[in-house]
Amino acid sequence: MLKLSGLTVASTALAAHAQPPAPDYTLDIAAYELEAGSHRTIRTIAYNGQVPGPLLRVQEGRPVTVEVTNQTAGSEVVHWHGLFLPSSVDGAMEEGTPMIPPGGRARYTFTPRPAGFRWYHTHIFAGKDLHKGQYTGEHGFLLIEPRDNPARYDQEFFLALHDWDGQMLSSGDGAMDPVYEVSTINGRVLGFGEPLRVKSGEQVLLHILNSSPSEVHWIALSGHQFKVVALDGNPVPQPQVVSMLRLAPAERVCALVEMDHPGTWVMGEVRKHIMAAGMGIVVEYSGSSGKPQWNQPNQLIWDYLPFAAADPSPPQQPDTVTIPLVIESKFAGHGAMDHWTINGKSYPDTASPLLTAGRRYRLAFINRSTNDHPVHLHRHTFELRRLPGHPEVHGILKDTILLDAGTQVEVEFTANDPGPTLFHCHQQNHMDAGFMMLFQYA
Amino acid sequence: MRNWLCIVVSLAALVSVKPVRAQGNYEIQVYGAATVEPKSTMVELHSNFTPEGEKYVIDGVYPTNHQLHETLEITQGLTNWSEVGFYVFSSWQDGHGVQWVGDHIRPRVRVPDSWHWPVGVSLSTEIGYQRAVYSPDTWTWEIRPIVDKYMGRWYWAVNPALERTWHGPDIKQGIGFSPAVKLSYDFSRKISGGIEYYADYGRLGAFDSLHNQQQQIFAVTDLNVSPKWEINIGVGVGPTASTDHLIIKAILGRHFNWKKPSLLN
Repeated sequence: MLKLSGLTVASTALAAHAQPPAPDYTLDIAAYELEAGSHRTIRTIAYNGQVPGPLLRVQEGRPVTVEVTNQTAGSEVVHWHGLFLPSSVDGAMEEGTPMIPPGGRARYTFTPRPAGFRWYHTHIFAGKDLHKGQYTGEHGFLLIEPRDNPARYDQEFFLALHDWDGQMLSSGDGAMDPVYEVSTINGRVLGFGEPLRVKSGEQVLLHILNSSPSEVHWIALSGHQFKVVALDGNPVPQPQVVSMLRLAPAERVCALVEMDHPGTWVMGEVRKHIMAAGMGIVVEYSGSSGKPQWNQPNQLIWDYLPFAAADPSPPQQPDTVTIPLVIESKFAGHGAMDHWTINGKSYPDTASPLLTAGRRYRLAFINRSTNDHPVHLHRHTFELRRLPGHPEVHGILKDTILLDAGTQVEVEFTANDPGPTLFHCHQQNHMDAGFMMLFQYA
Repeated sequence: MRNWLCIVVSLAALVSVKPVRAQGNYEIQVYGAATVEPKSTMVELHSNFTPEGEKYVIDGVYPTNHQLHETLEITQGLTNWSEVGFYVFSSWQDGHGVQWVGDHIRPRVRVPDSWHWPVGVSLSTEIGYQRAVYSPDTWTWEIRPIVDKYMGRWYWAVNPALERTWHGPDIKQGIGFSPAVKLSYDFSRKISGGIEYYADYGRLGAFDSLHNQQQQIFAVTDLNVSPKWEINIGVGVGPTASTDHLIIKAILGRHFNWKKPSLLN
């Protein structure tokens, strides 16, 4: 058994003598047959025989231990996405977190912070195997209970958007990309799982996660609107009412919904072919019945900007260090996935910029590719500072942001968590094809 | 796949053989397994010129030397696994002017992506008429299995086509075997190059002598300038006595999408 406690990793023998106390949570990683719909069984890997994995509710600042058993034939590691954790326990092999061998066991002991809606997921290489890594059901919700909730609510639901049964097919840009047969919310296609049961007059808080290996999703709830109160688990300066949500892979949205339109409704993917593949869930008011209603929106709407702070953005601090990151693709054949480069290099040959603890850094993303990229910085939260077509912004704190094709985005973060820090595209096939780099602290 | 071939052979046995040179120099293309998407149309112009071909009238058929063949191919996508194509063949030659040669229709189905097969597999059948001065066998039928695959920068496709004549002197000759093969390499995202091989070995089970077989090898390039356009250019040689010795071919295709453009689809 491996014991990962902060920066400490104990050997099997040591752990056996130590007689560790019972963990707060256990996760068993094992093969699982997901019944996503009638006649739609998906052979995958899951945590504790369920998709998504169990909801882990923890208190901010109170240490927690999660014991993970790997019953699969391959090595595994669990990444705690959006948390400020030591590199040895963050859950990325590239940062130094030990892998859990087949049949092995590990303990992750950490002090959860910051408060908010986080998640956990596998962080292994999948390559051409579309039944490994994030293509599987290895994802779950992690809620770090805040001292004050971002909003008052009567009921809360946790929803995970996911895509399954992928295969590599030719795409419009001449390379291979994954295309999926089945899309689900909480592992079920529309109409197969239990509906979200609500009452008229309730305020419902939705915690929505896009755990898809590669797909961006737009979500609407017919007859209702969303009041977005947090992005990636962090309260936004200006909560806004919107008709639909856009979530890139790994992004989370917390939104309040006023249940003021009794009936039976569909909440699901706005794009018709994804809805047809199953991405939807029924929302049923108490006392209502009948066929769920879906009002098809006629456009896709989303912008980060309205959630930014209203006051003028402070100028960039003079001692902020700007790190330009140019993202490009390298053609590898019409029968292969593109290779990805950051400043001309693919991981593991990418540069490892040295960070000085306490200093402010601005990452200037220049996406020269024809693909959108949900980029994620481990172990830190960054602030959006420049969005395409907009002047300086501030106040939106995230750990993942979607870089639209051919655009430039800038974010800032403070180097306040020493240790190797991974940065990568959260699209599994992109990170596997070189879109990763490691920041090091001086 | 083996079952498919059995079905193909059995179906082909019901009709009779097509002549060697009925349409080969009108549409020179190794088919890929992909089909045209529903609600969209592919319009292709096949231009083939024979700088060095048959110089004499044989059995009333015009010589191919210095013939320019222009073939209009219109393919309509039906479902995400089927399409139907229509051909209009024409020929220009000094002394004969522009002549209509014939028309064909070609329905095609493929294995849907949802089956997750490791290779692309498709089956086309082509029925058509051509004037006797261009082919003594006027009504012909072809069934063409198609297997292909992209492997990194490499692409290969195999079309082991079987042919029959329905009307003409070769009606009793049985099933003809006319395979076509393509192997190409992606030099860049936009430029691919490779070879295409076309043959007509004669009757299945009793192939013609090498002298009488048709065999052509083309050096080709595909220019992938846009998903809307298809450009294929090649130069081919025919090493056997029964084959036109030098052919230049070009395919220019334009894809038209009739779906209302929307991100919601």
